[in-house]
Amino acid sequence: MNNQQVKSGPGVVILWLLALFGLVLIVYRFGAGLGAVTNLNDGYPWGLWIGVDVLAGIALAAGGFFLAGICHLFGGKKFHALARASITTAFLGYLLFIFALLIDLGRPWNLWRAIFNWNHDSPMFEVAWCVMLYTFVLLLEFLPIMFEKYTWAGFKKLWDALVPWVIIIIMGLFTFAMTDSVGWTVTIAVVLLVWEVAMRTGLMPRDKQMPILLIMAGVMYSTMHQSSLGTLFTLAPHCLHPLWYSPWLPLFFFLSAVMVAPAMVIFEGILSEKAFRLPSHFNLLSSIGRFMPYVLGIYLVVKVVELISRGTALAAFEPTTQAFSWWLEIAVGVLLPMALFLSPSVLQSRAGLFWGSLLVVAGLIWNRLNVAVVGIDKPGWETYYPHWMEIFITLGVFAIGLLVFRWAMLNLPIAQEHREVA
Amino acid sequence: MKALLIDSTLCVGCRGCQVACKQWNNLPAENTTFFAGKGYQNPARLSPQTWTLITYNEVKVRDRFEWVFGKQQCFHCIEPACVTACPVRALEKTADGPVVYDPDICLGCRYCQIACPFDIPRFEWKKALPEIKKCTLCAERVDAGLKPACAAVCPTDAIIFGEREALIEEAETRIRKAPRHYRNEIYGKDEAGGTCVMHLSDVAFSDLGFPEDVTKQSYASFSGPAMNVIPYVLTGLGIGLGAVSWIVNRRDKVAAVERPTESREGGEL
Repeated sequence: MNNQQVKSGPGVVILWLLALFGLVLIVYRFGAGLGAVTNLNDGYPWGLWIGVDVLAGIALAAGGFFLAGICHLFGGKKFHALARASITTAFLGYLLFIFALLIDLGRPWNLWRAIFNWNHDSPMFEVAWCVMLYTFVLLLEFLPIMFEKYTWAGFKKLWDALVPWVIIIIMGLFTFAMTDSVGWTVTIAVVLLVWEVAMRTGLMPRDKQMPILLIMAGVMYSTMHQSSLGTLFTLAPHCLHPLWYSPWLPLFFFLSAVMVAPAMVIFEGILSEKAFRLPSHFNLLSSIGRFMPYVLGIYLVVKVVELISRGTALAAFEPTTQAFSWWLEIAVGVLLPMALFLSPSVLQSRAGLFWGSLLVVAGLIWNRLNVAVVGIDKPGWETYYPHWMEIFITLGVFAIGLLVFRWAMLNLPIAQEHREVA
Repeated sequence: MKALLIDSTLCVGCRGCQVACKQWNNLPAENTTFFAGKGYQNPARLSPQTWTLITYNEVKVRDRFEWVFGKQQCFHCIEPACVTACPVRALEKTADGPVVYDPDICLGCRYCQIACPFDIPRFEWKKALPEIKKCTLCAERVDAGLKPACAAVCPTDAIIFGEREALIEEAETRIRKAPRHYRNEIYGKDEAGGTCVMHLSDVAFSDLGFPEDVTKQSYASFSGPAMNVIPYVLTGLGIGLGAVSWIVNRRDKVAAVERPTESREGGEL
């Protein structure tokens, strides 16, 4: 391999330092309790970690299901070159998210209880199951990369044979856990089974590389997971500001994840070209950029129409921190990038694509922080601002993620075909 | 279903209930400090060691300032927001009325704290092995046919324990007999879909430290629509995505037959 080509610059050293410092703080957090490293209190029990590591982190991993879906279901075969990197990012992102969640949970050793103690009514139960099963689906999507790297042909055959049945089982189980209804469970299992049989009998054409059911399950779990994070806050009508509180929160979380997914693919594509000296996929990235005004526009229209129909649009013009923060989110994350991506010269320039997508990503992170932190108002409690150790633990978690991703890009056949050219 | 009725007009602010709660539940004392605004109230708010608290409020009643006392504790809602929120049923509503907690199941996600409209559950922020703490309505005493500790010690019968329906009747009788004395409202009868701890007062409930704008709907009705739609979305996606993939792949196949030289079966991943 030609790893030597990619030198470890000062950026990598900084990442290592942040990661190590973060790990030290994490050890301290488990010894001294959450109160020692965070400014959280009983009025503001969720803070920076939930907003950024969990809510935003999951949304930023949406590139995985977005590209897998475009590529294998919607016929976007030309995006194959980007699909692997996106699936890898999503898989590593989810592992990282689980790691971050273990730090935030007060009693993480009980996490396995979610498998057996079912509360069908709880949005958090839905979140927990989506995390478990989508991570498993991502692992299945990621495994072929490992088979290729270590040339385990036998495993690939086993994988091909087993994956569709595994999907039918876990999808049925998920439906049962969410609904407690045998009828729905059978319905889902039969729908998937019908497709699989149609493909096996040759009635329905199949993708030879990726089982369609696997990609479908990825899209289904992602849809549920992204939206369920919004559902969490439907139980906060008393404390979440009306600019964000809405019965439609799950839809907004899903739409904004779909909005940030292509932006993340562009952002990541341009960064990895630079960092790993990969040849450019500029045309692909640029044609994804052409999508952006549509996804941004749909999100904006739905959001504004909903605000007006709920009669809370005027809250955006009150002189409050929340209104200011809402405008910041909409201006930076939606309006400005929409203007940028509508301009042909931006779509033709690497810098334009980079900054446009960076704005969408920043706006998304800001949106999740608004819902989890800025928009929450508990009278009688000291307003929450993150403790410096919270910030450094978040930085450490992201640094660990970037280092693992860097290792994967350099050592696994993710961008292999292109590396050989280089 | 058992419940408490707390008549703030009978409360003399002795805090015997606070002490009894600590004694029965083996809760340690707190190191407290003076704070502005609430006179002799102590401590400032509920904590993992303080599950009930008498709030001291100086309120204008019939043209003169008076001390009025509110009792903070878990409301033991009929359909509790925390029980809906808890992903693992670590919080559960028992048939008798108490909402109880099992630390052996709890993940420590603190979603119950976000969901509770009354700001009741407390988390042990300073502990390495933290738990959620709150009033249990003395569930084990209720099981044994006893009153909760606070109701048992109250010297003026400001806290009475009984069947919820009977207590509502009692409260309505009190209001009917002294309509100028009481506000015509039972706090907790309908709040958050109805609770098992209810209050009577001669001043606004917000003056006693209770949130005034609590919805009358149960909290399960807020997350319910989004949760109920799950199987429809799943089935819709299951059918829709499969169909799209069929059409798209079929189109590709037809195109490949028409232009065989350009086709690359399967392609590479």
